[in-house]
Amino acid sequence: MSDGKATALLQATQGMPPRRYSRARRATFFSFVGLGTILGTWLLCVYLGANGLRWSEIALLAVFVPLYYQLNNGFWTALVGVWLMNRPKYDPLELWRTLSADDYKAPLRANTAIIMPIYNEDVTRVFEGLRSIYLSLQETGQLEHFDFFILSDSDDTNKWIEEEVGWLELCRQLKAFGKIFYRKRRKPINRKSGNVSDFCRRWGKRYRYTVVLDADSLMSGALIDAMVRIMEKNPGIGILQTFPKQIGSETLLGRVMQFAQALYGPAFMAGLDYWQSGEANYWGHNAIIRTAPFIENCALPALPGKEPFGGHILSHDFVEAALMRKAGYAVRLLRTPHGSYEEGPPTLVDMLKRDRRWCQGNMQHFWLLFAKGWHPMSRLNFFHGILSYASSVLWFIFLVLVTFLAALPGTHATEQVVLAEELLLGLTATLIFLPKIVILLDEMFTGRLFQPLKLRLLTFLSCMGDTLVFTLMAPVLMVFHARFVIYTILGKGVSWVAQRRKLDGSIDWWQAFVTYGPITLLGLIWSAVAYFVSLNFLLWISPILISFLLAIPIGILVSGRRSGVRFGLFLTPEEIEKPPVLLQLEENLNEIKDRLQLQPELEHNYGLVQVILDPYVNGLHVSLLRRRRTIHVSRDYLRELAERLIRKGPQSLAPRELKSMIHDTDTVTDLHYRLWSAAEHDLAPFWSMAIKQYNLASSNPFAHLLAQRAPRT
Amino acid sequence: MEAVNIQFAPATGTEEEWNEAYARLADYFRSYRLHNRIRRTQLILETLRRAADAHAKDPKRTPTAHAIEQAKRMLHEWLGAIYSDLNLTDSQIEASGRLGFHLCDGPDRWPHFFLDRANLPPDMTEAMRSAVRTSGPRLQISKMTPRDIDLGRITAVAEDTFDTLGRNPLARYALLMVFVGGVLGYFFWLLR
Repeated sequence: MSDGKATALLQATQGMPPRRYSRARRATFFSFVGLGTILGTWLLCVYLGANGLRWSEIALLAVFVPLYYQLNNGFWTALVGVWLMNRPKYDPLELWRTLSADDYKAPLRANTAIIMPIYNEDVTRVFEGLRSIYLSLQETGQLEHFDFFILSDSDDTNKWIEEEVGWLELCRQLKAFGKIFYRKRRKPINRKSGNVSDFCRRWGKRYRYTVVLDADSLMSGALIDAMVRIMEKNPGIGILQTFPKQIGSETLLGRVMQFAQALYGPAFMAGLDYWQSGEANYWGHNAIIRTAPFIENCALPALPGKEPFGGHILSHDFVEAALMRKAGYAVRLLRTPHGSYEEGPPTLVDMLKRDRRWCQGNMQHFWLLFAKGWHPMSRLNFFHGILSYASSVLWFIFLVLVTFLAALPGTHATEQVVLAEELLLGLTATLIFLPKIVILLDEMFTGRLFQPLKLRLLTFLSCMGDTLVFTLMAPVLMVFHARFVIYTILGKGVSWVAQRRKLDGSIDWWQAFVTYGPITLLGLIWSAVAYFVSLNFLLWISPILISFLLAIPIGILVSGRRSGVRFGLFLTPEEIEKPPVLLQLEENLNEIKDRLQLQPELEHNYGLVQVILDPYVNGLHVSLLRRRRTIHVSRDYLRELAERLIRKGPQSLAPRELKSMIHDTDTVTDLHYRLWSAAEHDLAPFWSMAIKQYNLASSNPFAHLLAQRAPRT
Repeated sequence: MEAVNIQFAPATGTEEEWNEAYARLADYFRSYRLHNRIRRTQLILETLRRAADAHAKDPKRTPTAHAIEQAKRMLHEWLGAIYSDLNLTDSQIEASGRLGFHLCDGPDRWPHFFLDRANLPPDMTEAMRSAVRTSGPRLQISKMTPRDIDLGRITAVAEDTFDTLGRNPLARYALLMVFVGGVLGYFFWLLR
């Protein structure tokens, strides 16, 4: 290990759980998982095999085993988590215990970069989030040890300019020049992982640690400060991952997920930490990385073949965690009840778009399953990632097989077969619902989330509600995930698109109809088949079929703003008592919401309007552009584009053409004067309107995106 | 800058053209966030006067174009005087200078000295010069070279198969159809 730490060799592995602990924990955990899986499989064998097994029944068993393994894994993770949360003895591997009271008072000796890779994100949210983190860190008194980097890969010209303006205004307001840096890549090679690698190559050497954030991440200064201290005390840790809690949701789906994460999340995290030990996963954000070993060991090679299975690794975080572990450093999960937050997708469609990308990323890991040199747990982490999506295909095949087997002429059911069927049903229901019941009981008795009795009772009702919502959604998600897996296998790649994190309009009914309509049709056909098979079978499979039939209303309902908040449902501690870092963010975002809006066409192209019309923004953009001796396109071509832009407006240019102009310093400066110099009759109506309205928008060209109020004290 | 003579009688160009130039200049100087209207009016008239002279020499260009051209020159002269010894190119001076004026709150603090080359308050000059910023810290280059991962024999076989299928989409779909057809055929046989 060569990370430049000033720690005695004796302590070099501090933070890496001793092998005896890890082995004992995994032996215990996987024994339970294995026993549960074997028991379920045996019961199914007894049920199916009364008269010998047919090929279709063997196939059913084959898909049942991984599904039951996954169910058992979740079940035991949750139960172990609840046990850990309630046992009186401290967990000897608990990382928080490595810090003493004196450690918190000691001055920090390490420099840390806080990086936020972004791609066409909501600029206001990005910079207001960063401001909240900055101010929160300032309150800890340790700000001097941190630098902030906004690493942009945005290819939308308007977003790019808005990011520059946001950066300058934030630096001006916080007097943070030299603390907050903005870097835009001309070519977004290898997407997010390439963006982070580029940072590492350019500036990584300057920082012992790197805190990686997503565009929607929010972290408290106290937690970041503590994470650095934990890394200092535990030089054996390469990556320390926090548990980001979902915040800021407004739709039913978002709030239900937010609630479920708040209620069940801590138990699952504790359970995961128990058996993953020093081989945890990295989720790509809200984590701290030891920079030197990351640079040395975690550069990602391209996978063999073409996309979607080959090429650039999409889900880079799992692979980086595996590479870090391969290099001898622990990857740990830090149990964080608060201080680490993120936002979730607002609607089911947005969630599915995100899942489509994640699915392809996880399926790519198939290559890595059999690679040499991984720690067995890293291999298992890859397997679990693949299974999380492949299980949908397996579940679908399972249901198809069950339907066909039900249609076969029945044989006389012996007592043993009936008993096996009933036991299997009971066991499966236990595996699905017991973790929820146990976690809910834990909350009822301990009041971990809420102390007032009324809130605990509301939590109970919310738990019923979220069970209903997830029961209705799960079969719909199964169909989509199965489709994603098959698309990936068939070679249909996925493009890199910006994520929508807020519901910015009303629900698109047509989109809902087109998206969920085929599932309703599937439900109708399947119901008819099940009816002809037998009434009993129709009843047995009805929870799945009801979900299929109601796919359209479910999709619309969960994506709407009626989220039960009026009745106090799905509340989370962060909604009741907002942490300061979140309060700061929300107050600033509310201020921005009230700002004067321009005409929609101008608002849509505001970045472009600013860089051409505004002398300060124009100067800023030219100052930040790297001057090139040669350009890839001819001057005549750029002049022709500029002429078209002025005479016909921005809609006359393709995004690629706009970008090529905005990348060239001389063209950007020239455009500014050419536009202001143009006679009225030579200007596109867009520009005439822009010139008239621009100065009315705000008294400060940089105030359009960020709040102007003084920070909370 | 001398006291502005409000008499403005250009020898060339129509009244309509000069009105358009006036309106454009007004918008242009407002975009500098000069909230001091008197100073803005002074600048507009001074610029128009220069533009009128230029238009008399070159009437082919519109008064608006001449007016903005003169505003640009005045800016260059002014910024050139402030950043004369900083070894910057013209376009760097212009871009950084405009930005510097904004960053030191120039429009609010020194509106009367904007574009006034003859009067450069030392505190304004110093504030503008120190406000010229860069976008990032000094580079400290590291190598981050990907190392090949030995994917093993199973992966190599799978890669070849996928590669073959990838080159031939018909084979890919045919394989899928055979699989689905086989399963359906089997069930048909069971149910017959």
